[in-house]
Amino acid sequence: MGKNILDKMAMQRALTRITYEIVERNKGVEDLVLIGIKTRGVFLAERIANRLQQLENVSIPVGELDITNYRDDIEHDATSIDEIKMSNNNIDFSVENKRVILVDDVLYTGRTVRAALSAVMDLGRPKSINLAVLVDRGHRELPIRADFVGKNIPSSQKEKIKVYVNEIDGKDAVEILK
Amino acid sequence: MTERYLILEDGSAYLGKAFGSLSTTTGEIVVNSTMNGYQEIISNQIYHNQIIVFTQSSIGNTGLDQNAYESIMPTAKGVVVKEYENLATDQFKRISLDRYLKLHRIPGIYDVDTRQIVHHLREKGNMKASIVDVADEHAFDQLHATVLTNQQVSQVATPKPYANPGDGDNVVVVDFGLKSGILRELSKRDCNITVVPWNSTSEMILDLDPDGVVLSTGPGAPTSLPDDVLEMIRNVQEAVPMLAIGLGHELFAMANDAQIVALESMHYGSNHPIREIITNEVFYAGQEQGYAIDSKSINHDKLYITHADLINGTVQGLRHRDYPAFSVQFSPDGAPGPKDAVGVFDDFVEIMARRRDSSETRF
Amino acid sequence: MKQDFKKILIIGSGSSNIGNENEYDAACFETIAAIRKTGAKIVYIDNNPFSVSAEEVQAANVYSLEVNFANVVSVIEKEHPDAVMPTIGGLKAIQIAWQLYESEVLEEQQISLLGIGPQELTKIIDNQKLRDSLTEIGEKTIASVIIANEEEAMDFVREVGFPVIVKPISSSHDTSRFICNNPDELDDAIEASLKRTYINRCSIEQSIVGYKEIEMVGVRDSLGNKMLVSGLEDMDPIGIHSGDSIIFAPTQTLLNKEYQALRTSTFSIMDSLGIKGTCHIQFALNSQTSSYFVTKVSPFFTRNTNLAAKSTGYPISYISTFLEMGYSLTEIKLPSKYSKYTAYMEPTSDHVLVKVPIWPFEDIPDIDQHLNTVMKAVGSTIGVGRTVEEAILKALHSSQLSPRDILPSTSKVDEDELINQLIHPLASRILILMEALRRGFSIDELSELTKIDKFYFYKLNQLLRGQKYVADHPRTLKAVDVAHKYGFGDGMLAEMWNLSINDVRAIGSESANQVTFKMVEPSAGELNDSTDTFYSSYEMENESESYSTDDKVALVIGRGGNQLGPNTAADYYTAKILLTLKKTGYRTIIMNTNPNAISLSPQLSDKKYIEPIQLGNILNIIDLEHPNVVFLPGNRHFLSTELKKFTDLNIVLLPPDQKIAKYNDNQATNAIDVFIDGTTVTPITTIEFSNAKDSNNKQLKYLYNLSEPMLHWETDTEILVDTVTQIINTDYWQGLVQIMFNRQVDGYEFVGIRPVTITETAFLTKTTGVDWVATLVKKYLGKLDKTQIQEQLTSFNHKRRSTMTSVFPFSQLQSNQHDGTVDQEAGAYLTFKNFEEQKKA
Repeated sequence: MGKNILDKMAMQRALTRITYEIVERNKGVEDLVLIGIKTRGVFLAERIANRLQQLENVSIPVGELDITNYRDDIEHDATSIDEIKMSNNNIDFSVENKRVILVDDVLYTGRTVRAALSAVMDLGRPKSINLAVLVDRGHRELPIRADFVGKNIPSSQKEKIKVYVNEIDGKDAVEILK
Repeated sequence: MTERYLILEDGSAYLGKAFGSLSTTTGEIVVNSTMNGYQEIISNQIYHNQIIVFTQSSIGNTGLDQNAYESIMPTAKGVVVKEYENLATDQFKRISLDRYLKLHRIPGIYDVDTRQIVHHLREKGNMKASIVDVADEHAFDQLHATVLTNQQVSQVATPKPYANPGDGDNVVVVDFGLKSGILRELSKRDCNITVVPWNSTSEMILDLDPDGVVLSTGPGAPTSLPDDVLEMIRNVQEAVPMLAIGLGHELFAMANDAQIVALESMHYGSNHPIREIITNEVFYAGQEQGYAIDSKSINHDKLYITHADLINGTVQGLRHRDYPAFSVQFSPDGAPGPKDAVGVFDDFVEIMARRRDSSETRF
Repeated sequence: MKQDFKKILIIGSGSSNIGNENEYDAACFETIAAIRKTGAKIVYIDNNPFSVSAEEVQAANVYSLEVNFANVVSVIEKEHPDAVMPTIGGLKAIQIAWQLYESEVLEEQQISLLGIGPQELTKIIDNQKLRDSLTEIGEKTIASVIIANEEEAMDFVREVGFPVIVKPISSSHDTSRFICNNPDELDDAIEASLKRTYINRCSIEQSIVGYKEIEMVGVRDSLGNKMLVSGLEDMDPIGIHSGDSIIFAPTQTLLNKEYQALRTSTFSIMDSLGIKGTCHIQFALNSQTSSYFVTKVSPFFTRNTNLAAKSTGYPISYISTFLEMGYSLTEIKLPSKYSKYTAYMEPTSDHVLVKVPIWPFEDIPDIDQHLNTVMKAVGSTIGVGRTVEEAILKALHSSQLSPRDILPSTSKVDEDELINQLIHPLASRILILMEALRRGFSIDELSELTKIDKFYFYKLNQLLRGQKYVADHPRTLKAVDVAHKYGFGDGMLAEMWNLSINDVRAIGSESANQVTFKMVEPSAGELNDSTDTFYSSYEMENESESYSTDDKVALVIGRGGNQLGPNTAADYYTAKILLTLKKTGYRTIIMNTNPNAISLSPQLSDKKYIEPIQLGNILNIIDLEHPNVVFLPGNRHFLSTELKKFTDLNIVLLPPDQKIAKYNDNQATNAIDVFIDGTTVTPITTIEFSNAKDSNNKQLKYLYNLSEPMLHWETDTEILVDTVTQIINTDYWQGLVQIMFNRQVDGYEFVGIRPVTITETAFLTKTTGVDWVATLVKKYLGKLDKTQIQEQLTSFNHKRRSTMTSVFPFSQLQSNQHDGTVDQEAGAYLTFKNFEEQKKA
């Protein structure tokens, strides 16, 4: 059992605040698209989209990005890359000239985000890309920072930060596992 | 037991028995339907110049707890209840309700049909009332002649700044008749607090280099305060994160073009469901509300409505579109009332932290 | 998020017993009304003969089977419901739901569980899982460990602190427990405990004895919105079972911060269990430190959920049914008498409700009468007032402690015994507390001895002062006012002052404060609800309006708190009277004080008075309502005679008093039941009496089991019918009548005639398919369709044997008795056996 860092309420509030900040920073929701990084980032992106719907009565497109094959720190089985690429991304809109908000659960070394940036750039040329994460736990290995952060959680590298989302984990929480 | 009367502006009179101070008093009569926290209610400055009718059948049951006052010098004008218990327990160093009211010259009247009064006010609307020895013509004349001040804020707010130190974020609280619950919640989050008078200018406030500014709760109509206050709010909201509560929320709305209306049916209680619009979630919180924001007057290019009362439809929360400034009509500190929305303070602290991070961390 | 269900299986609660009166049936009655609104079909399993709900559901969909796993599975296999509702059948139903999940029946049959998810259910079944889950969300539970020596004990104590309780672990029923406040006491306790065990282990746990017991009842919807319905405060501290405690609603002695902390905790527990519907949580609160432990989590309908509903006027069962089906709080449409906001406006009340338990110590003399952690109460009564004093007194003079309005004296108890009883409370606890005050014990001292909050002693003191004033100022108007303010009834004044109740009423009529009736509604006057429940108070504004003279009005006077004997059946009877009266076009008014009574269900009558069943209170209501007819269900001969003295009322006593019964002998084997209307005698059926197999008591009062038809019915029915028609005198006997016989070798010996009992009336309704209570009511109102009854009773052919078996609370109360009398019944269950199956077997 891990140590609870964010409970359900705190997690909800963090997403709500991020939503407000996205609108604040972008001076509105025009050309906004959300891309969630699989798996949990997608659910978080959808929740932000729901909030934007409630708030501004607009439907913001949400895409799903699987960056497994872009990660530079994971060795790939070369034969299956294309297959994965085809089946696992689900972005049925153009990112051309859009303001893209990448959404992930935890920001750690920055390698996932770097991979996501490459993946998005492969899809087209957005006007801007911002990064929203629920948790920033430090220990960056690349010059990457989040524009919207739910919570900074200083952590040691030995620790594992686990984000639970109700949609697949049955509960909303952020825990430190030792 | 001395018999006394509660008389209302419309000519009705209720016979009851005296407790607390025996002075004659006049104020606006309001009904509070919260089931707990008589001490927090009576000591809240929001009741300045008001006579409070409690719907809970008995108050005084636990005496007065040293840690639960909402202000040092309560300024409510009277207390009306069905039954009070004059209990004090040495064990907790508590004093009795009767003694507390005598100490602060607040008259009380009990053994009246408070349920009838609630029904009466529901039908007849807001009015003045007095607690008097004799319900004669003279008493009613006096009641009618009494003009209640509209200078409530300057009468209860601090005239000088003072510090409430902590190790965390530097927060300036603008005192419009502050309740301690706000300081308590900020202190719990380690804030280093400076409380400043209600008429402080934005320069004075920003010179303190705050990470955030809180506009406090307080009594009376926001419209009775000078426009300088609105100017201060406009300047501060551009500069630093801002949280506004109660009267502060009403002023924040006015500073951003919204209009204020007096509620036909004032609401003091914690039973109304409040909906957070962005998540559709419903929660409960203490509300002490004589005024509301005219939702039609809100400039949606400047403000979002973030919360609404599901019973009377009033705006319960706002947020600025361009600045990290937000406000709530209700009391999130839960003193008294539910703590469902105490996370408002966490949001505020989180917003301050985010801003600090983003200004400090540069690549 | 609301789901469409086509067929819902409701798991009933089975026979009533200790801790299970009619509250589940009452909840079920509301639930059925709610489910009907959604269009779903209802299937119901329950073998309680006194269930009103079972008669509300279409007969074909009622399974009168013992409520157990196997039977529930067989019903599921037959009916294929798409949802199971386990939340209104008590813990047993919850356990069955868990078995359904474990055995994968739910999954195989694709059945949804309403109220709580299967995963969460595991936490309710498995204490350790619950504890882990509570710890995970930061809620404290009482720590306990098994230890083998002092070192381990000290390790534990260093973690949790003193005091702790040490208990030996042994196979025999060793109930000794040692409370230790310091290391020395701990050493002694461990030494003593280890000596008593074979395995050299004992358990040690944090002691919370003397903490306040606070209960919270909340609701939560599928979107996660939560609302607190009510807090309840047990006057008695932890150590006395909540069911044996005097309970106050709302809480009286909590600081705001304590109350809000418990509220917040309730909400986070409901969230962590994903509750849809209602949840009842119990806490132990240390008022010195404002810290608390969670002691019990019940995510289903309980006795005290019901109390919360009664106290606030918030229709919990009705609302929570919709919540369980996935509706959100804001989507629920309530019946029109409620404000449209009621479902999601947090209840706030301007009155006090007090519950006083009723114990069976007079009915079963050999049980330990001390109040402790095992529940012994069989029922309770409530008093509602605008002040605490008023509510306490009303509850008291509705309870068995004081059958006639006055406070019984305990002045004969000597000083040592008094102190002993203060520390080791008995049923008369509250009277002992008052006696101690009367004898000049200080409040500090009493609070220390009893761990009861001082507030309650202040209030009891007020009551004593009131009583003294009334005694010292006999026959004065001021004294009447004082008495009324504190909740003393006119009957008590009459007794104290040696006047007739009419004289007392005459003095009171001069007062400025006449009786007024206040509404129990959940907004403290803010909204315009017109809920129909009232209580009396002597104030200015009366809110209960009488019906117009065009309306026919019936007042039904309930039996008050439940006791052993035919009481749950009497409540069934009362409810059926109300239903019949309503169908017959009457405006119905019920007066009752039993919070668990189905007869007080919101939907069952037009108007409810929660008032002591005392002459003065009854007359006050009659003065206001001018009923055309007054029904007195149950053996209420005394009350009927008293009432008739005062006004010319049309009083119907149903069933007729058992005193008119005539016996030649006190032993019987069988009987024939007939229905008599005018001069027409219609035989209904035959009955066989029996009792437990090893019982040798053949006296009537021991013959608690009934079977229909009797033995040898094929051959002997005709003879008995002939005998009956010869002996019965229709000038004397009307309605449901039973003629008893003793079967001899050479034929039947006539034993006696009596009115059919309340329990048996319920049994007959279930077996013959004729609604007998309705029939009797219609008979007395002159609206009976005779031919219809006769058509329904044409045949004496039986395809099955129906049996009603009584349930006794002996083992639960640790009584040595095993064979009871009809006056010791706590409930009963039904069984049916088809003759063909029997033959095959």
